[in-house]
Amino acid sequence: MRVVNMLPDIQYEIQKSQTALNTALQQVSTGMRVNQLSDDPSASANLVSSLAASANVDQYTKNINVLQSRMQTADSSISAVVTALNSAITAGTSGANGIMTASNRLSIADQVQGILSNVVAQANGSFQGAYVFGGSQTSTPPFVQAATAYTSNSGTPLSTSTPLTAGSVTTISDAITGHRLVFKTNAGDTIADLTTAIGTAVTAGQLSAGTTASINPSGQLTIGQPSGSGGLAVTTDDTTLGSMQADANTVVANAYAYVGNGTINKVQIGDGNRVGTNVPGDQLFTSGSNVLGSLTGLIAALKGGDTSQIASATSAISNALNAIGQQRIPLDNTLNQMNAQESYLSQETVTLSSQQSSLVGISLATAATNLSQAEQNNSAILAAAAKVLPQTLLDYLH
Amino acid sequence: MSLTTSLNIAAQSLLVDDAALQTTNNNIANANTPGYSRQVAVFNEVAPTNHGAVSIGNGVALQQFQSIRDELLQTQIEQQTQAQAGISARLTSLQQIEPTFTTSTQDIGTQMTALFSSLSSLGTDPTSGSQRANVIAAGQNLANSFNTASRNLTSIQTGLNKQVSHDVSQINALSQQIAALNPQINALQKSGQDGGTLVDQQDQLVLQLSQLTNASITQTSNGITITTGSGTPLVVGSQSFGLQTAVGSAGMTHVLDGNGTDITSSLTGGDLGGTAQTRDGIIPKLLGQLDTLANEVGSAFNAVQAGGYDQGGKAGQAFFNVPVSTAGSAGLIGMALTNPAAVAASSDGSPGDSGNLANFAEIQTSKLSGGATPVETYANLVYQVGSLTSNLTAQSSALSASLTQLNDQRSSVSGVSIDQEATNLIQYQQAYQAAARVVSTVQQLFQVTISMGTA
Repeated sequence: MRVVNMLPDIQYEIQKSQTALNTALQQVSTGMRVNQLSDDPSASANLVSSLAASANVDQYTKNINVLQSRMQTADSSISAVVTALNSAITAGTSGANGIMTASNRLSIADQVQGILSNVVAQANGSFQGAYVFGGSQTSTPPFVQAATAYTSNSGTPLSTSTPLTAGSVTTISDAITGHRLVFKTNAGDTIADLTTAIGTAVTAGQLSAGTTASINPSGQLTIGQPSGSGGLAVTTDDTTLGSMQADANTVVANAYAYVGNGTINKVQIGDGNRVGTNVPGDQLFTSGSNVLGSLTGLIAALKGGDTSQIASATSAISNALNAIGQQRIPLDNTLNQMNAQESYLSQETVTLSSQQSSLVGISLATAATNLSQAEQNNSAILAAAAKVLPQTLLDYLH
Repeated sequence: MSLTTSLNIAAQSLLVDDAALQTTNNNIANANTPGYSRQVAVFNEVAPTNHGAVSIGNGVALQQFQSIRDELLQTQIEQQTQAQAGISARLTSLQQIEPTFTTSTQDIGTQMTALFSSLSSLGTDPTSGSQRANVIAAGQNLANSFNTASRNLTSIQTGLNKQVSHDVSQINALSQQIAALNPQINALQKSGQDGGTLVDQQDQLVLQLSQLTNASITQTSNGITITTGSGTPLVVGSQSFGLQTAVGSAGMTHVLDGNGTDITSSLTGGDLGGTAQTRDGIIPKLLGQLDTLANEVGSAFNAVQAGGYDQGGKAGQAFFNVPVSTAGSAGLIGMALTNPAAVAASSDGSPGDSGNLANFAEIQTSKLSGGATPVETYANLVYQVGSLTSNLTAQSSALSASLTQLNDQRSSVSGVSIDQEATNLIQYQQAYQAAARVVSTVQQLFQVTISMGTA
């Protein structure tokens, strides 16, 4: 073949060599093998998924960190309640002793009253401003003092045939039974329907006997119990009723009702792994073996001085103690689950990071070797060009 | 046979050698002229004179100046140039598109994941104003990233659209120049001349035309005929047929032949073909997928939002503003919510409930109409852009190597070798010197002969 001009070939080779040098330089400076999608399309696509997985893992870890603090706060509150209940049992056992004087029992009753206040304080405990035992109702204390009468204050005269607002919710919590009637208003429901629902709940034992709803002479709805009853708390978001307020002088001493809700919020701590973030306070403190009710009962029994009633009330506290022990098991399980998940996520972070490095990264040693090789190749082609290009026959003709 | 005959032969030799020296000089002068084919002076022996049984030579004559060229190689170079220019046009556009689909912090995939993370985080405190504000900001960022990607693609498409008009006007100008050369070359060739210089010019113009479109070249008795890939004539004899442009309904420039027939889709090679293919094929396909992704993700968020309740207990309003039609969704999607309290985290209407957040999270793992999750769909887009660019880079590299090789071969045949021309220079110089010496010798012989009569 007749070679007439090597310049185009040399230019082509120099260009190729400098492209390779540039690539090697980029790899060293960035630590990345893939700097453009086209460097490795498959790895780039896989990196998208891997980065998404990493972001999820990071978020799950953050969620766990927040939840751990909150649930540990809840667990500490429950521990404090357990301690308080044990103190109450000790006090009750002491009060049930026949040799105790009435004065001593009153003194013990005061002591139990203090315990009750402490338990209520724990039940109304909060974490970063949010009440931990209110279900999803975290902005107001979940346990309020019960009263025997709550009255509406909408300002508009009501009657039993007054329609309620569809979709509104009215909740009646009973301090003695520990249960709640949650009345969700359907379209067309009236105050009469609410009254019927209250009657049904009384029959079912969810609300204490004597709980009724009626329209007072001022055209207001009153929900209440007879004087001397255990008390209740009423909340509503029905604009027809307005807010329900406890009537003056109807608050029942040492009686508390739950005005939170039963919602258990869940948070994702892994792919397809969601855990409850709270235990509603009614589950822990009022429903079933009623912690607050049993303490109220012990106070009343101590004040009454009947040893058998004191023993019975103390036994109720023991039952409540056992019940709360059962109720905290899911909470402890969740905490354990989160600890285990946190370890797993920590490992997963390392795995994903390693995966991303292997997808698009390059080891410094390999990058340095590539650079060295590219430098040598470039030097060789430049040296060859310098040697060959200037030479022609004219150099030798004189 | 006489001294005069010898003098004539020597004088003719001087003229021929001078012509050869001029050819060498011209070759050296054009050693770096693009498209130049080296020329050689073709000598032939003048018919001898017969004196009885004796035949005496009559010297040398210059037959012609001949350009050394290989038409097959030239055709191959033109074809490879068309392919290379077409791929180069597509590759340049894709290299501009590539950064739109990076895996950086601002890309759609990252912003999509950030939105899901913000919703997951809201689950830890559904009443938190700052967490809700984070969700709104993440949603806005995702909408922005869709808008940016769509805007980048559309901007590149607009640039390519301008390039189509530019290419067409260049093609028309080149066609005119090529057609103008046809009759001149034809006249020279009919008179038995090589016409090398004009053919070189025409070849160079055809090569420039090949960089613009997929031209098909055939040799006819009237010179070369050039047609586009669809058979539309560009040059026939001394006539050129200009392409036209017309703006279509979508604002895109279409290429029409002389009869007004739209030939845009048949343009495959050259810069015009590559540009049209990217503008009308690659970019609309990517935009379509981006629009579908934006529309489906936006609609999914709106559906979940509608199924939940905001912090005030009201049914959730639309999360994103999503166009009814899928087309253009990526460019038009926007954040509908501005009030953090409007995020419908609750499934029962109570402000602290987070039941609906699980439904938002499900969007991340739900399959879209294409059978992949939103992030997988984006990853697929990333793969497509990367793969297209990578394949075109490989093809461009291979074609570039092949074109270099073909140019080497052409250069081997037609290129000027300075070394060879230097030897030719010596060769013709020596021949010229020898012929001059013959003239000098004959002159001396004339003197001797004249002196014979006067002595």
